[in-house]
Amino acid sequence: MAIHHLGYREWEQPRTGHWLRPKYIALSGIALVWRRKWLRLMLMLAWLPIAVPAFGIFAFESSLNEPGFLRVVANLIAGPLQRPDIAFMVLTDPESARHEVWTLLIMAFFRYPQLSAMILLVGLIAPMLISYDLRSRAYLLYFSRPLRIIDYILGKAAVVWFFLGMIVTVPALSLYVVGVLLSPNLSVVQETWDIPLRILGASFVLLVPTTALAICYSACTSESRYASFAWFATWILGSVAYQVMTFSDVEFRPDRRPRPNLSQPAAMVQPSVEAGSIDLDRWRILSPYHALGKVQAWVFGLDPTVGSVLPTLLLLSGITVFGFWIVRRRLISLLSV
Amino acid sequence: MSTLKNVVQIDHLVKRYRNVEALADVSVKIPPGITGLLGPNGSGKSTLIKSLLGLVQANEGSGDILGYPWPSQVREIREKVGYLPEDDCYIAGLNGIESVALMGNLSGLPKIEGLRRAHEICDFCDFGEERYRPVESFSTGMRQKLKFAQALVHDPPLLILDEPTTGLDPAQRDSMLRRIKTLCTQYGKAVLLSTHILPDVKAICDSVIIMVEGQVRVVDTLEKLSQPIEPTIHVTVQGESSAFVERLLHEQLTVDSDGEGGLRISPVGLSEVQGIWEIAAETRTMIRRLVPAMNSLDQLFIETAGATQKPAVSGERKVS
Repeated sequence: MAIHHLGYREWEQPRTGHWLRPKYIALSGIALVWRRKWLRLMLMLAWLPIAVPAFGIFAFESSLNEPGFLRVVANLIAGPLQRPDIAFMVLTDPESARHEVWTLLIMAFFRYPQLSAMILLVGLIAPMLISYDLRSRAYLLYFSRPLRIIDYILGKAAVVWFFLGMIVTVPALSLYVVGVLLSPNLSVVQETWDIPLRILGASFVLLVPTTALAICYSACTSESRYASFAWFATWILGSVAYQVMTFSDVEFRPDRRPRPNLSQPAAMVQPSVEAGSIDLDRWRILSPYHALGKVQAWVFGLDPTVGSVLPTLLLLSGITVFGFWIVRRRLISLLSV
Repeated sequence: MSTLKNVVQIDHLVKRYRNVEALADVSVKIPPGITGLLGPNGSGKSTLIKSLLGLVQANEGSGDILGYPWPSQVREIREKVGYLPEDDCYIAGLNGIESVALMGNLSGLPKIEGLRRAHEICDFCDFGEERYRPVESFSTGMRQKLKFAQALVHDPPLLILDEPTTGLDPAQRDSMLRRIKTLCTQYGKAVLLSTHILPDVKAICDSVIIMVEGQVRVVDTLEKLSQPIEPTIHVTVQGESSAFVERLLHEQLTVDSDGEGGLRISPVGLSEVQGIWEIAAETRTMIRRLVPAMNSLDQLFIETAGATQKPAVSGERKVS
């Protein structure tokens, strides 16, 4: 017997509130995932893409003093980011284009590197969150405690939210802060105060449906690899289906579209006839990746057409509700045996 | 808790799985102390336990557990109950101490206090350095001890233990039973012990519930259950006993063999024992041992499991 062994002792201190219980599930899950070296490495790598929009903001802010940077920024916006209208604004009235430029750069950060990192990260951590509990029957331990099913689901979802927040929300907010610090004066805050709120909104749009889908797959099987497979298949097949359906009617021919002429006014920058004939929104509901992009663009104010966003918004809401409902049903059915 | 006459009182509990009635109008009262819950496989023991904890939704029934209305306040009930599941279950990836601390946190212990308490309980359960090993590497016996520690970490007044000694070697089993007994006698815990192992029940239980086919057949204290329904003595004789038995039957007594060479003679109270000695002397039979007969729990269990009667009321026995 150990010398510090005191035997059994009663415990009569005040208990913590029920609302704290999901926190403990989340903390335990985060600690478990954090032990994996590859994950820590991945989190570091996921911050690297922040350099590109940071450079864009730096170049834009510097261009106000050194006009040579303006063309660099305009080319970045008109080329890779496909927004010649904003590029034109940058060239004609850079001061007034600040909000759009910042929003576009942060949105691009969300849309491309971080969404891809999100797919990889969630595909690696979320499938094991519930499937491991199913395999080891740990749900019996959880639910013999004063926990509701919703507490358990929230606790598990919070693990995913935490890591997604670490690679999406925190870097984006950091990017904003860096942008403010790189600006010539703090008056930029007045012009861009809504961007942090839009970042939070876009994070919400990204985190909630993807987490619901991921833990739904995890709850459907006790083999986490099947859940991983289903997760990646959803994104890859969805994206392929979207591309095929959207571009199936387009006759392939060499792209003879002129490069955007940045000296023209925005109204004159028209897409080519071929590009204009493609309805990019029609099949977005097939692909969660493209649906997320659409809604995030709307949240950032870069796609103000509510009507075209509505189907994708409904799709993401449907995924969220259906995903959490499946998890709940699955847990209830397991406990009933 | 000590002021409660019954820690659990459930009336008319019904649980159906589609067409199968797993629990049929079960009414139980569990007094303080250690209560053994016995029954053959599929008799509804685990369903009863899961229903008490709200893990499965009962179709009908009401009552109270530790003074909390059941089933409307199962969350409050779970906070006061420690449950050791029968199944092999663990939280993958965590080590022993983290598992116990997490269960404490989920039952309302603050973060640091949960860890401190987990160490205390691991000491009580004889966990050494192995508490720092991942639970996947635990042996069956260690997992059983871990589940016990998890059930106990939040100091619940009622422990529901489903097969706690399964997979334990004799020494560990003995330690586990001693721990349970200590918790009951020294710390006033009520314990509901579901098991197939009758010697465990005999060793530590104060009362017994026997379930068969989703019904409660027997509810009584172990002491009362050990008493035969009519006064009986147990006699062991040396050598030939046929003349002795014939004479006893002639005296309108009932004589049964106990299957081990002994005789159970009824109805004979201690005051009528003199007559037995006289019959033995007349038939020149040597009595080696004569004691008041006790019912064997094994026999009672087998008889009850084989019986097809209506459920018994608490305090009564109905055994064929």
